[in-house]
Amino acid sequence: MIFLFTAIVNQEEMKLALVLNVIDPSIGGVLIMGEKGTAKSTTVRALAELLPEIDVVKGCRFSCAQEGPFCSECLERIENNGNLEIEKKKMRVVELPLGVTEDRVVGTLDIEHAIKRGEKRFEPGILAEANRNFLYVDEVNLLEDHIVDLLLDSAAMGINTVEREGISFVHPARFILVGTMNPEEGELRPQLLDRFGLCVQVNSIRDKALRMEILKRKIEFDDDPEGFYKKWENKQKELAEKIIKAKERLKDVIVSEDALSAVVEITGELNLDGHRADIVMLKSARAYASFNGKKEVSVEDVKAVAPFALKHRLKRLPFEDITYEAEKLNEVIKRI
Amino acid sequence: MKLLREFKVNFLNFVNQENAKLTLLLNLIEPRCGGVLIVGKKGTGKSTLIKAFTEIVKDVGIPIYELPMNATEEAVLGGIDIENTIKYGKRVFQKGFLSKVNGGFLIIEDINLFPLDILSVVFETQARGVNIIEREGFKLSEPSNFQILATMNPEEAEFSSHFLDRFGLCVFMDEKIDKEKKKEIIKLHCFGGEENSIDELIGKIKFWREISKKVYVPDDVKEFIAEVVLNEAVSGHRADIYLYYASKAFAAYKGETIVTEEHVKVVAPFVLNHRRRFIEPPSEEQEHSHESSNTNSDENKEKKEQKTSPIKNEDFENAKSQEIPSSEKEEIFPVGEPFKVKRLILRKDRLIRTVTGRRTKTKAKGRGGRYIRSLIQKRQEIAIDATIRASAPFQRLRGMKDSLIILDEDLRYKEKERKMSHTVIFVVDGSGSMGAQQRMTVAKGAILSLLMDCYQKRDKVSMIGFRKDKAEVVLPPTSSTELAIKKLKEIPTGGKTPLAAGLMEAYKLVKNLHFKHPEMRFLILLLTDGKVNVSLTGKPLFEEIQSICFMLRDMPATDFIVIDTEKKNSFIKMDLAFKIAEWLNARYFLIDEIKSDTLAQIVSFYKK
Repeated sequence: MIFLFTAIVNQEEMKLALVLNVIDPSIGGVLIMGEKGTAKSTTVRALAELLPEIDVVKGCRFSCAQEGPFCSECLERIENNGNLEIEKKKMRVVELPLGVTEDRVVGTLDIEHAIKRGEKRFEPGILAEANRNFLYVDEVNLLEDHIVDLLLDSAAMGINTVEREGISFVHPARFILVGTMNPEEGELRPQLLDRFGLCVQVNSIRDKALRMEILKRKIEFDDDPEGFYKKWENKQKELAEKIIKAKERLKDVIVSEDALSAVVEITGELNLDGHRADIVMLKSARAYASFNGKKEVSVEDVKAVAPFALKHRLKRLPFEDITYEAEKLNEVIKRI
Repeated sequence: MKLLREFKVNFLNFVNQENAKLTLLLNLIEPRCGGVLIVGKKGTGKSTLIKAFTEIVKDVGIPIYELPMNATEEAVLGGIDIENTIKYGKRVFQKGFLSKVNGGFLIIEDINLFPLDILSVVFETQARGVNIIEREGFKLSEPSNFQILATMNPEEAEFSSHFLDRFGLCVFMDEKIDKEKKKEIIKLHCFGGEENSIDELIGKIKFWREISKKVYVPDDVKEFIAEVVLNEAVSGHRADIYLYYASKAFAAYKGETIVTEEHVKVVAPFVLNHRRRFIEPPSEEQEHSHESSNTNSDENKEKKEQKTSPIKNEDFENAKSQEIPSSEKEEIFPVGEPFKVKRLILRKDRLIRTVTGRRTKTKAKGRGGRYIRSLIQKRQEIAIDATIRASAPFQRLRGMKDSLIILDEDLRYKEKERKMSHTVIFVVDGSGSMGAQQRMTVAKGAILSLLMDCYQKRDKVSMIGFRKDKAEVVLPPTSSTELAIKKLKEIPTGGKTPLAAGLMEAYKLVKNLHFKHPEMRFLILLLTDGKVNVSLTGKPLFEEIQSICFMLRDMPATDFIVIDTEKKNSFIKMDLAFKIAEWLNARYFLIDEIKSDTLAQIVSFYKK
């Protein structure tokens, strides 16, 4: 059993960044950086409980959306009978373990099918499972280069194209990439770093009362997981519903001109390359507004999420104290 | 010999090492203590103790497995069962260690010598509690809750603090054992001990395990736990949790059902030992626990004396160095700002190796290394999954009956890769000329940046300093960057420039290491302004340096980098560093060049 999301003490930034991604998956994931033992992995795994249902094509092994893009199999279905049935499926957190091999990431030939029928059929890999779901990599900075290459490739295109062992197959692979890492153990390749929509920093809590609370909850959970689940049931439901509502409202939230110029001003001030920072910041601000039940994105919303969107995109020196850099960022945000 | 081999030390007549025995028992009483790391020098009985403990664990009825050093990723996680797969024509799974050990203990001896990729996989699985197998066409998940009992000898290799944190408890083997105890140990090994029955102990353990369920921790003790951990300023929250369970287990061990502050104090050192910045020999608290676990107090006194002596030595040496009259002023410069280093790409060679690290990729020898992809070209190891896949579509055509028909053309091979680390030797000029215009400060900044890079790539580092009339190895090869940074800060500047001596020292070091570890690669990084003025042998300065350079250049598996700290705009520039780079066939950088350009701009931006 996994610990509960709502029962995790403090670490509000990490929790918020994850929730924003559930509300708007196109934000593009979260990178969680922090010291060892700060509940990074626990929080991500606990997120699974709260995830809402999404519409998928019935019977599709790749969770294709009704409006596409489609996998090779769904395209065939459309050609054969024209329309696709829809079913509900709960979003998942799919894990990419460190010891993964290439064939399991991209998918490979289905051996049993090939032996029995003498036909080549595609057996989906992790990228297929991760389509429209969360893809979680623990210790992402320790992932082997050749696996990172595969991730970058499909993250850029949103599609996994398989050409191996005599199979040709295409399926959508749009996943919300969540990674945790301890920066002491090594840096992340810049391309991969930029793929993460948001970035949060977690630290160990120094407050004694809070530390006691962590200890108490952990013990309570260890001793009686079922009882613990019951105790937190209402809180979990409450948050899950809030997320669903925010998701439904998202498209109706208006972005004010002020908010838009705040975004441009911040990124302009910091002299950042590319447009990803602007886009991610605005999307997160909108998700944040929706989460708080607002109808319009305000400058305050932008300011609230700016650190998440910018932390890992600032040009900084390696090993430099992140808090220092965060101050820099805060200054800019305050000025606007 | 025969006698020795036949005799098995059992847990009861194992002499001394009360702390180590206690931590092992605590884990057996309450597995949530999070495992034990036993740290000790060679021959202190680490393995013997673990073996004796294994017997007990088995008797209690808990699975316990030892992870062999040569275990492959497939063996650890689980993989394809070759025999049955070929026989039945469908993938058959063979369980790995991490699945078999569920609910028990995994023994990892000499954990600091294990390949990092294997350890990453083990700890990742342990944290998750589930073994997810996503390889060779399998997609399975199996429960995998286990604790690790590990041993390490810190002299052999360093161990990442990141991994250390995963251990609930850590204990140091006592090295100071009094003569009576020593006699006892020898007697035990030569003549065998009393055939103590461990049945009584097993009974006790079962009893302790029972009461541990009833042990209650009052709120003020919980608060005390939080306080203890907070005072140590360790990172993360694991310490609190492990301390809680260890205290509980200890109370049960004492046959009590309410945990007191005293219980917490006894086990706290085990939980905190390895979470401090360095692994240090036993400290005050460690001894404190000694007292409580009633070992004799004479021994404690002895230990205290031993502990204070190094400090005295240090003082003495400091005093000594101050006494020596120095003709030139000696200064210690602060470490300059670190900056991003350019990626150092080294010559690839074709030697097939078995070592680990993260810098240069090398073709892996034997069964180690990571299976990257399958190839049609012949390699050492057959990739079963790919071979079967290749043959699968043709089985009907070939008329398969009982087992798969695999032809030569189906065979696929594994391409494996493993990154290899280097030993990076910094040869640092500490002469007086380096002190001018803050050159040493910048140079130290450059070294710091490179040290960080070395840590991440799992390189070993060593440092040689030369100044006045001699060169010395300031830092013998180590993986501890923290230690290296400490030494770096202490490097003084002042005196003449015995460059030849510095290079000679590097030559000796490499030659020595190469002899011991023929597979290791070296990177010598010379940082100097080239203002040489002391000869080693009395020969002309340049000639001498040139001949040493040629000797160094001929060393196998060694790369060179020369960083020139000379101010190039001054009138008297010698450009000797450049010449040395040529003689060594080295990559040559000016100190300002080694920063990557964009980041250098940011440095100045922040300086404003």
